[in-house]
Amino acid sequence: MRPQIWRNFDFILLLTTLLLIAFGLAMSYSTSLTTVPAGTPYLSHPTVRQGLYAATGLVFMALAVYMDYRVFRHLAPFLYVFTMIFLVVVIAIGTATHGSRRWVDLGPFPIQPSELAKLVLTIALAAFIAARQDKVKKLSTLVGSFAIVAVPVVLVYLQPDLGTIIIFACIWLGMALMSGMRITFFAGLGAAAVASIPFVYEKILHGYMRQRLATFLDPASDPLGAGYNVQQSEISVGSGGLLGKGFAQGTQSQLHFLMVQSTDFVFSVVGEELGFVGALVLFFLFIVLLFRCLRAATRSQDTFGRLLAVGVTVQLLFQVFVNVGVNTRLLPVTGIPLPFISQGGSSLMTILLSLGIVQSIVLRHKRLEF
Amino acid sequence: MFGSYKRWRSSRKKRLKPETILKIRFTLFRMLILVLFLVLAGQLWKMQIVEGKNYKQRADYNRLRTVTVPSPRGIVYDRNKTMLVRNIPSFTVSIVPADLPNSDQPAVIGRLSKLLNTPPEEIAKAIEDRRREIRLFTPLPIKTNVDQRTAFAIEEQHPVLPGVTLQIEPIRQYIDGPLTAHLLGYVGRISEDELAKREGEGYDLNDRLGKAGVEGSFETELRGRPGRENAEFDVSGRKVETLESEAPMPGNNLVLTIDLNLQRKMAEYLAEEMGSSTSAAAVALNPKTGEVLGMVSLPTYDNNLFSGGISNQNLAQLLNDPKHPLINHAVGGQYPSGSIFKVITGSGGLQEGVIKPSTTIFCTGSLSIGGWTYPCWAPHGVVDIVKALAVSCDVFFFSVGGGGNQGVVGLGIDRLAKYAREFGLGAKTGIAIPGEVPGLVPDPQWKMDLRKEPWRGGDTYNLSIGQGDLNVTPLQMANVVATVANGGMLYRPQIVREVLDANGNVVRPFEKQVIREVAVSKENLAWIRKGMETATGPWGTANTVIVPGIKVAAKTGTAESGRKDPSGRVIYHGWFLAYAPAEDPQIALAVFHSDGQGALTAAPAATKILRYFFGKEETPKPPAPRS
Repeated sequence: MRPQIWRNFDFILLLTTLLLIAFGLAMSYSTSLTTVPAGTPYLSHPTVRQGLYAATGLVFMALAVYMDYRVFRHLAPFLYVFTMIFLVVVIAIGTATHGSRRWVDLGPFPIQPSELAKLVLTIALAAFIAARQDKVKKLSTLVGSFAIVAVPVVLVYLQPDLGTIIIFACIWLGMALMSGMRITFFAGLGAAAVASIPFVYEKILHGYMRQRLATFLDPASDPLGAGYNVQQSEISVGSGGLLGKGFAQGTQSQLHFLMVQSTDFVFSVVGEELGFVGALVLFFLFIVLLFRCLRAATRSQDTFGRLLAVGVTVQLLFQVFVNVGVNTRLLPVTGIPLPFISQGGSSLMTILLSLGIVQSIVLRHKRLEF
Repeated sequence: MFGSYKRWRSSRKKRLKPETILKIRFTLFRMLILVLFLVLAGQLWKMQIVEGKNYKQRADYNRLRTVTVPSPRGIVYDRNKTMLVRNIPSFTVSIVPADLPNSDQPAVIGRLSKLLNTPPEEIAKAIEDRRREIRLFTPLPIKTNVDQRTAFAIEEQHPVLPGVTLQIEPIRQYIDGPLTAHLLGYVGRISEDELAKREGEGYDLNDRLGKAGVEGSFETELRGRPGRENAEFDVSGRKVETLESEAPMPGNNLVLTIDLNLQRKMAEYLAEEMGSSTSAAAVALNPKTGEVLGMVSLPTYDNNLFSGGISNQNLAQLLNDPKHPLINHAVGGQYPSGSIFKVITGSGGLQEGVIKPSTTIFCTGSLSIGGWTYPCWAPHGVVDIVKALAVSCDVFFFSVGGGGNQGVVGLGIDRLAKYAREFGLGAKTGIAIPGEVPGLVPDPQWKMDLRKEPWRGGDTYNLSIGQGDLNVTPLQMANVVATVANGGMLYRPQIVREVLDANGNVVRPFEKQVIREVAVSKENLAWIRKGMETATGPWGTANTVIVPGIKVAAKTGTAESGRKDPSGRVIYHGWFLAYAPAEDPQIALAVFHSDGQGALTAAPAATKILRYFFGKEETPKPPAPRS
């Protein structure tokens, strides 16, 4: 690699990434205070594990920065097939939690392939659309890209995992829109989607998904069952006020009124302990991150790189929006982790790998260097 | 400016370049990012800033609860400071409905049902009831008095029994159980009605309160004042931190007037002579003060059954028992008194001048008057008041009460009833034991009101010897004999001698309570006493009542109960009244058997009791060891 390309390295993106990792580790520490039994081996402590995942992820990121991202364009078909097989394996032998199979137990590191699938889907879509760049306005491109996303959607539906399906759909929609496809196609697609809502509700949605919708509409209908955590997360966030109850001082989280607080509902802990101001700081970091990713997209020397960066941006944006929306009673409960902040190695490592690729795109943008 | 507008218009007509389209879309994308975060920030503003206070309250409601800290209930001693009841720890398994997730409920109930041997439907129903009352944080007791092994098993399975808590709470242990059950009573969970009635006294749903005996009548003293604790709890109901607390004040201790050893002997001897009686009672009073030295009602029950919450089966058994073991017959049973009433007829007759101490009547064995014949139990010849009491001559007292014989103008029903009431009959004594009944002194008004019949002469004759519609309690009769013994003071019988605070300081010392000084002169009462002393002499009806070295005064009674047993035998009540020593009475005693005879059952039991009291038992038995 020529040394001068490092001039383009996006230090703001890196700094934001590191700050978000630190934010996530801090929240992990706070939620571990009353949940981790005394005498837990050092390496089993969730915060330490999360730190190790972050370190591993940063190594992946460094490798991705070093590599030319265009390698992935050629690897795309293999990665796609490999990941689809992985998803099938999960359905066959995965570990079930809360009635759905999302995990593959690989020794000390349980892996959630659907996280990896988000990145691979982005790569595959970018490669496909880039290859058909001259036919991008044709319906066949839209249909082809739809087919690429349909396979993992079906496989994840079988797990089942509504949240990931939504993110897949957002990635596809965002990338398709940003590739220059015709807006009219999407209008027709949108109409078809609205028309199929009753069918989807009756035939496609699993019972738990429908219950979550019902709970979202009226959480008080079952305060001790499905609606419990919706109410508790609402109380947690609301009771945080302007400045919050203080780091590790949240009564809702530390006394366990709030459940799944280290993963899907971690934002409720942020809201409760750090308040409105703390949440805005987190939002600011996310906005900077997303803008830097879009900057990479606009500077990319080729369509593949542009769409890749767009895909990563869309994925992060909607994960943040849906997760925070769920935590603030804007959206029904869907199990989507909050990037960097929710505990979980697969998510964190995949995101860091993705950001490494984004960095690689910035480094190799088309402006000539002398 | 105009030019640029034109340029824009003209560029619209041309197809946009793909780069321009992309630029627009990227700009829109950036705006979308900002808009989405603005939506989130707006929602946060609404929740945290606008409605923050409301949510803070709800968060506090989640974690803060005020719990009452029970105060240790007072201890009860006998007059010699022998402990009669104490508090021992017991395990109660409860469910906090708020901490039991709906989805786990069937599994938890199933496990609990197996561990506690309680039907699952019963547990489920109790939980549902409590949920309906929306008292989700108050622990709902499922089973009390759980043995230690089960308690440990439940503690071990805590992770799979969400919402189930094990509480250690003190329960009452009545050391002598049945022997003092009617005096001490028992405690039980407060009922909805009682809770409503005692609103403002700080009781809550799971409190126990005294329901019978002194546990009931001295509830306020024994209970003390429960403390309060405002504390922070986690989601499983575990207390995390106490924020503020008010210490409980232990209940006061009671020293009863009874002597436990006397009580034991009274129960033992009363039972020995019980025969086929369905109930029996004995009451011993200190005639100088009104203190109850012993009070026994048979059959009795084990009040320890109530301590941990009585099972429905045990309760049904006690309630359906035809002998009514739960009733304290000494205060709650009312019976015709028979001849022991003659003490009152005689007092009235002397006081009203109907007879003089020297008046004699010739008893032929019956009294015929107005076409009716009233039999005496034996022909007694010439009798005066002393002999009449000693031999229990009916004819003499028919004459005193009803008159019309050998020139005696009788008292008549009004004066007779007046003296009966003067001695405390027909009214509750006011002893601090729940369940007392007033008995009945019949009179013309009562008969007309109840039976729509006029009072007849025969009714007066019947009442003169304690028959007919007269109803008395053993305690009332003990009080009558105490009054005769002490020269005319009708004291209110008392069961509690002193109230002590938790440190043993006397809070309320003993004070005699006078109901009234009966309107019978000391001289006239002295004649009655002379008659009762003579009754234990060689010719008296109580001539078997011998306590070596102690002069006993007594009166026997055998009352027609008006009932027959299945074989057709007429059932009589056996009564016996006594006080001793005659010259300086220390004890006044009433003994009652529901199926017996004054001289044959009640008197022997009384003799043994008196012998014990004066330390004159022939072969003094060592008191049975206490459990």
